[in-house]
Amino acid sequence: MQVHWRQSLMSYTFLAPALILLAVFTFYPLLYGAYLGFTEYSGARFANHLPPQWVGLRNFETVLGDPLFRTALANSVKYLLVVPALQLASLAVAVLVAKNIPGIALFRAAYYVPVITSVSLAAVMWEWVFNREGTLNWLLKALHLTTPEAAFGWLNSEHWAFWAVMLVTFWRGFGYYMVLYLAGLQAIPEELEEAAILDGASAWQRFWRVTVPLMRPTILLCTLLSTIAALRVLEEVLVLTNGGPLNSTYTALMYVYAKAFQGFDFDYGVASAAGLVVALVALLLSALNFRFFHREEQA
Amino acid sequence: MKRSVKALTLGLALVASTASAQTTVTFWTWYLSPKFDGYIKDTINAFEKANPGIKVQWFDKQDSMVQDFIASVNLGNAPDVVNLNIDETQKAAQNGFLTAVNTLTSPATLRSTFYPQSLSNFTSGSNTYAYPWYGWLNEGVLLYNPDLFKKAGLTRAPRTASEMLTYAKTIKDKTGAYAWVPALKDPNTASFLGYFYAEGLPVTDASGKAAFNTPAHASLLAQYVTLYRGGYVPEDAVRREAFQLATELYAQNRVAMIIGGPQALTRIKDTNPALYARTVVTQAPLGKAGVQTGGSMGLVIPKASRNPQAAAKLAAFFTNNANQLAFARVVPVVPTTKGAQTSTQFKTSGSDPVARATALVGASGRLINPGYRAPGNSDDLYKNFNDNIEAALLGKKTAQQALADAATYWNANLKK
Repeated sequence: MQVHWRQSLMSYTFLAPALILLAVFTFYPLLYGAYLGFTEYSGARFANHLPPQWVGLRNFETVLGDPLFRTALANSVKYLLVVPALQLASLAVAVLVAKNIPGIALFRAAYYVPVITSVSLAAVMWEWVFNREGTLNWLLKALHLTTPEAAFGWLNSEHWAFWAVMLVTFWRGFGYYMVLYLAGLQAIPEELEEAAILDGASAWQRFWRVTVPLMRPTILLCTLLSTIAALRVLEEVLVLTNGGPLNSTYTALMYVYAKAFQGFDFDYGVASAAGLVVALVALLLSALNFRFFHREEQA
Repeated sequence: MKRSVKALTLGLALVASTASAQTTVTFWTWYLSPKFDGYIKDTINAFEKANPGIKVQWFDKQDSMVQDFIASVNLGNAPDVVNLNIDETQKAAQNGFLTAVNTLTSPATLRSTFYPQSLSNFTSGSNTYAYPWYGWLNEGVLLYNPDLFKKAGLTRAPRTASEMLTYAKTIKDKTGAYAWVPALKDPNTASFLGYFYAEGLPVTDASGKAAFNTPAHASLLAQYVTLYRGGYVPEDAVRREAFQLATELYAQNRVAMIIGGPQALTRIKDTNPALYARTVVTQAPLGKAGVQTGGSMGLVIPKASRNPQAAAKLAAFFTNNANQLAFARVVPVVPTTKGAQTSTQFKTSGSDPVARATALVGASGRLINPGYRAPGNSDDLYKNFNDNIEAALLGKKTAQQALADAATYWNANLKK
C-alpha cells in the first residue's frame, strides 16, 4: 500500500510540469474563452478596464442570426471536401515513397517543403499560378482547353476562388499527412506482408487486406487532424482572397478572427460565441469519424 | 576620511537619483523601418539631447500593428507613443484607447502648429487624439507613362475626373494596358466613399446616418461598374489595394497612370529605373467638388501609457514643423504643419520626377481630408459597404440596390 502511494506520488510529480503547462496554456484559455461567449466584452469595455458582463445566450443569437456567419460556416463545412482528397492522396503517395528506391529521400523532402513554406511566400507563388496571365491559364491554353480571351483570374471568380484556395490547402497539408502515413507504414511488421505474398495475394489485395486495416489508427488520426484543420482554415484564405469574391471563400474562422483581432472595434464575446459554434461542429464531426472507424474496426 | 565617505555617499545618491529620474518612452512606428531608420534614429537622438531625462525605445511595427497595440494594453506594457493613421485613430478613440492630446498640449499650441483640417482629421467629439504627422494626397499628382500615351494617341493628361473615365477606354482599347487603378474597395476601409466626396456627394447626413444612396451616388457607382465589367479596370482591383496594384502594374508597363502621392515614384524608381526617368509628373484631375482627398499619419498617446507627459513631448517633437520638413526631404510626404506652407523647400523643382511631384504637393497639407469619418462600429460597416460595392461590380446587384442595402445596414448597425 505504502509502495503504491509512493509510486502514485512519483508519477504525478513527473506529470506535474506538463499538467501545469496544459492547465495554464490550454485549459484555462479554453474555459475562459467559453465563458466569454456568454458575456459582452467589446473593445470599449476592454479599453476602459470594465470586466466582461454576463449576457446569457445573446451572443449566440447574434452570431446565428448573422447571414455572414451562416455563409462562413457553410463555406467551412464545404471546405471539408478537402479532407478525403488529402487523405487518399497522401496515403497513396506514402505507399509509393515507402519503398527503398534510389533517390526516394529527395521525393520525400520535396513533398514536405510546402509544409514548412511560409503562407505569405506560398501566396505570392500561387498568385502567379492563378492570375489571369498566370501559369494555370497558360497550361490550359497550351492544352487547348481554353483561349486567351476566355482566361480569367481564378482568385477573382466567385465560382472558382473557393476551389483554388482549397488546392493551396491541399498542397500545404499533403506532405505533413504523407509523413504521418509513412511512419504508420514503417510500423507494419514486414512478416505480415511476406506472409501475404506467400499466400499469393496481389499488390492490390495486400494493400486493402493488410496495409489499410493495420493503418486504421493512423488514418483515424490523420482524418481527425485534417477535419479540424479544414474547419480552422484561415491563413491561406486571408492572404489569397481575404474571403472574397462575394464572401465565397469567407470561412468561419475568418469571422472569428475579424470579430476578435482585426481592429479596435473587436468584440471578444461575439468572437468567442462564434468560436464555440465552430468547436461544436468540429466535435460533432470528430464523433462521427470515431463512430465510422470504430464500426469499421468491429466489422 | 569621514568627509570623503560622506562625499562619496552623496555622489552615489545623486547618480542614483539622476538614474531614477530617467524616463523611458516606448515609441512604435508603422512600416518605417528599415527604409527610414536614419531619419528616425537621428530625430530620436536630437530629442534625447534636448530632453536629457527621457530615453526613447523605438520599435517599428508592420502588419500586426493594431493587434500588437491591443495585446500590449492587455498585457499591461502599452507603448507610450504610437503611429496610427486617421481611420485607426478614430476607431481607437471611439473605443476609449487613447488620451486626448489637447489635455497634454494646449489647444492653442496645437492650433498654431497644425492646419485646422489636419487637427480635424484626428478629432472625435470635442477632443483631438493625435499629433498630426506626415500626410499624402490621393489626387496630389498624376504620373503617366508617355510611351503608352503616345500609343493611345493622347497628347496631354486628363483634367477632370470624367475625362479620366474616357481615357480609361481609349488607353485600354488602343494599347491593351489599363489607364489607371481606381480604389474600388481597398481592404480595411471604405475607399469608394472617397469618390463620393470628390464629386461633392454627401457620405453621411448631419446626424451621422448614411446618405450615400441617392440616384446621383448610384449613377457615379454605375460608371465604375460599367468600366469594371467592360474590362477597363484590372480585375484584381476588387481583391487588392489599388495603390499597391497600380505601382506594381505601372512598373510593368501595364498601367498608364497613377494618381496619388509622389511616394509611388520612389517604388517605381526601385523597380523600373528606366520608366521612372521617362515618367511625366503633372497635376491630377479633381472631381466636381474640386477638393482633394488624402490621408495622414498621427502620433497618439495610449490611455495605458505610463509616461503621458514625456510621450507628449516626443510626439510633439517628431511632428513639429522642422522635423516634418526634414522628413519630407527624405521621402516625398506632405507635412501637416502650417509652417510647411511657406517653406522654400517646396518652391524649387527640377527634372527629377520625385522633385517635381514633391514641389507640386509638398505645401498642400491643408487639403488633406479622407472625405469621410470612421463611423462607430466601422469594421462591420466597412465590410458590408465593400461587399455591396463588390456585388455591384460583379453584376449581382444594381448600383442603386447595392448602395441602398449598404445604407440600410449602415444605419441599423451604426454605433455612436
